[in-house]
Parts: sequence; C-alpha cells; structure tokens
Amino acid sequence: MGVMRIGHINIRVLDMDAARHHYENVLGLMPTDEDDAGNLYLKGWDEWDKYSVMLTPADRAGMNHIAYKVENDVDLDSLGKRIRDYGIDVEEVGAGELPYCGRSIRFWLPSGHLMYLYAEKAFVGKAVGTENPEPWPDGLKGAGVHWLDHALLMCELDPDKGINKVAEVTKFMEEVLGFKLTEQVMVGPDHSIQAATWLARTSTPHDIAFVGGAVMGLHHCAFFLDEWSDVLKAADVLAKNKVKIDVTPQRHGITRGTTSYFFDPSGNRNETFAGLGYLAQPDMPVITWTEENLGSGIFYHTGELNEAFTTVYTEGA
Amino acid sequence: MGERAYQVTITDTGEVYRCPETVSVLKAMAQLGRKGIPSGCHGGGCGVCKVQVLSGEVVTETMSRSHVTEEEEREGFALACRCYPGSDITLKVVGKMQKAVTRRYGFV
Repeated sequence: MGVMRIGHINIRVLDMDAARHHYENVLGLMPTDEDDAGNLYLKGWDEWDKYSVMLTPADRAGMNHIAYKVENDVDLDSLGKRIRDYGIDVEEVGAGELPYCGRSIRFWLPSGHLMYLYAEKAFVGKAVGTENPEPWPDGLKGAGVHWLDHALLMCELDPDKGINKVAEVTKFMEEVLGFKLTEQVMVGPDHSIQAATWLARTSTPHDIAFVGGAVMGLHHCAFFLDEWSDVLKAADVLAKNKVKIDVTPQRHGITRGTTSYFFDPSGNRNETFAGLGYLAQPDMPVITWTEENLGSGIFYHTGELNEAFTTVYTEGA
Repeated sequence: MGERAYQVTITDTGEVYRCPETVSVLKAMAQLGRKGIPSGCHGGGCGVCKVQVLSGEVVTETMSRSHVTEEEEREGFALACRCYPGSDITLKVVGKMQKAVTRRYGFV
C-alpha cells in the first residue's frame, strides 16, 4: 500500500539530439516513444513500465517534475487526503495528462520540487521478457543501465536565517508519504542541523535523497548497475564519449553504493550506482553521519568533498 | 593537428593559454590544469563558468537561459563551456562557485 517506487523523472534538455545520444548510446536506455511536443521517453532494459526518463526540450536545464508510482489506485485518494491534511495543496490530474499514465495527483514538496503520484502507466515489458528469461539482453548500448534508481534533490539550507528545507521535506516524506529515513547528515553546533537525508520506500538504502544547498535544484538522477566492475566499464564508456565526468568511480560511505558521477550534454548530473548497499528494512536504525566525517560519508575513498559536487547543479523547478 | 588554435586571456588572473577552435574555452583551460574560470557541468546548464568576452570572436552553443539571457548574450556574456574561439580573445570571469571557505554548515 502507498508509494511503491520512483516512477520517472522529467528532465529539461537544451539540445535533444545531444541528449538522445547521451541517454540512448552512453547510458544505454531504450527509447520507447516520442510525442508531438518533442518529448522523448526512455526506459532501462530491466524496467517494465513505458518510461522512467522523460526528456523535454527547453531553453533551461533542470527538472520539471519527479513521479512516484503507488501500489493501488485508491492510494491516490488516501495519500491525497493525507497531503491536504498536512496543509499542502493537491491537484487532481486526469488520466493521460501525465503522459501514458492513469489519473494522478500533483503537489509541490516543501522543498519547492513538483511531485506526481500515479498508480498506472502503460506497460512495455522487460527486454528479456518474463518467460524463461535470459539474465541480460543482447545488443545493449553503452553502460546498459538497468533502471532509474533514485534522485537527489537540492533543498535550500540557510541555518542563520532559520531556513532548513531538508528537514521540512524529510518530515513530510516520512510522516505523510511513509518513507523510511535510512541515513542523515547532522551538522552545526551539537550536530543539531539536518543537512542531508536519504529515504526509502523499497528495501534499498534510498529511493530519494535531499541535500542542503544555497538554492533548490536537481543534484542528480541515478541509474542502477549490478556491480563495481560495471561502474568501471561505464566510466570507460563515458570517457570514450567525451562525457564530462564529475567524480570518477568511488564508493559512498553513505548507502555504501559504488558510484560515478557525470553530466548529460545539458549539464544535468547523472550517476551510475551499483550494488544493494544493504537491506533497508523498516526496523533498521537510522544511520547518522556527523559533520566531521562528511567527506568520508560522501566519498569514502578520498574522504574529501570536492567543491563542484555540492555547489554545481541544475534547476529543480 | 593542423587545427586552428587561438590565444585566450583571462583578465582576472592574467592566465594565457591556447585553445583549438574545436575545443571549448573551458575545456581547453581545464585540460591544462588551469583554474581561472570555475569548472562545473560543461553542458551549459549550471552557469558557474559564466564569462564576458571583452574582445575577439567566439562561436557559442545553446546555453541555459537561466544563466545567460538573450540581452546578456548580445553584450558578450557567455558560458565558457559553450564558447569556441574564432580569434584571439580576452575575457573576464563573471560566474562563481560557492567557495568552500565560506561554508559554515557542511554543504553551505
């Protein structure tokens, strides 16, 4: 019941031809449709719904919205009520308005990001099918990512002015949408300021994350790979294609994921993320990282933050 | 080889380097390990590499309008990652990355 998983992300791109090459040939997503407005829809080979990435041509980079899939249609009513009761306006959206989806609800997160919840999306199927499937399909391109794994949204954080949208949106995600807090970064005097959070509805370490910054935005969307060797090979694919790599293969202390960060041709950050990390069961105690160990939490090997990683990102609305 | 290259001068730092006409002003700088222009997404999306071209010709690719308006573009503002030299150029740095030295609370 309730929210199941991340459904899709709608990203704005400045040059559709360059974006198409990146998402299809470098990441290895499969195009499933294009519409008259010029939007391109793609899915990972291991996903079954019609799309997990919707690219929209625009003159500004960033994210339009993020959507999560709920288990049952009635969840849209119960969650819609909970969200309204919390004091946030909810808009009922008719079937098809969110492309290839049934009815949905939309609302602005306390962080200023637009979120949709929907229960139905057109079915396409995994590339390997469901009857006696092979472990992976032939003809995968580039990194051959499996699925859209999670997104990290930047939230305004200015403790001196009493602004902490990380804490606000985290409270909302936990109390209203039923996400489980798996990890958090606590900073400032007495470690009292919640500066970053990782939350899950599935049993993975995160289905969404929030990090504090000067302004709200889209930090990255991440795509799943099986293992470390796949992340290394993906980095070769990136270099071959002259993709701007932000962080070469590393391990995160937080989530334990193995990772590499890079930018799409419009400057939106992507991640290839591999490994389970750990099983995030509902009764797992919250993991806390303190400010003194922030570098190791983000980049476990170097133990240092890089300047661009937390200050360079695209718009979140 | 045989590709035309031009001289880029960053007035703020006095840095001077060669930039092939097929390589962005930002990438040519970064490949030499230089730091005068803040280096971000290299895709025209984040805006940290914003510069104003003071002299010379550049060819530009699409840049996020959040960071360079049409009016600014006419006045020579551009993102260095989307700029290719068409002659020797001089530029000044406009964009900035939030400096780690000003951070007080982890990320901010």
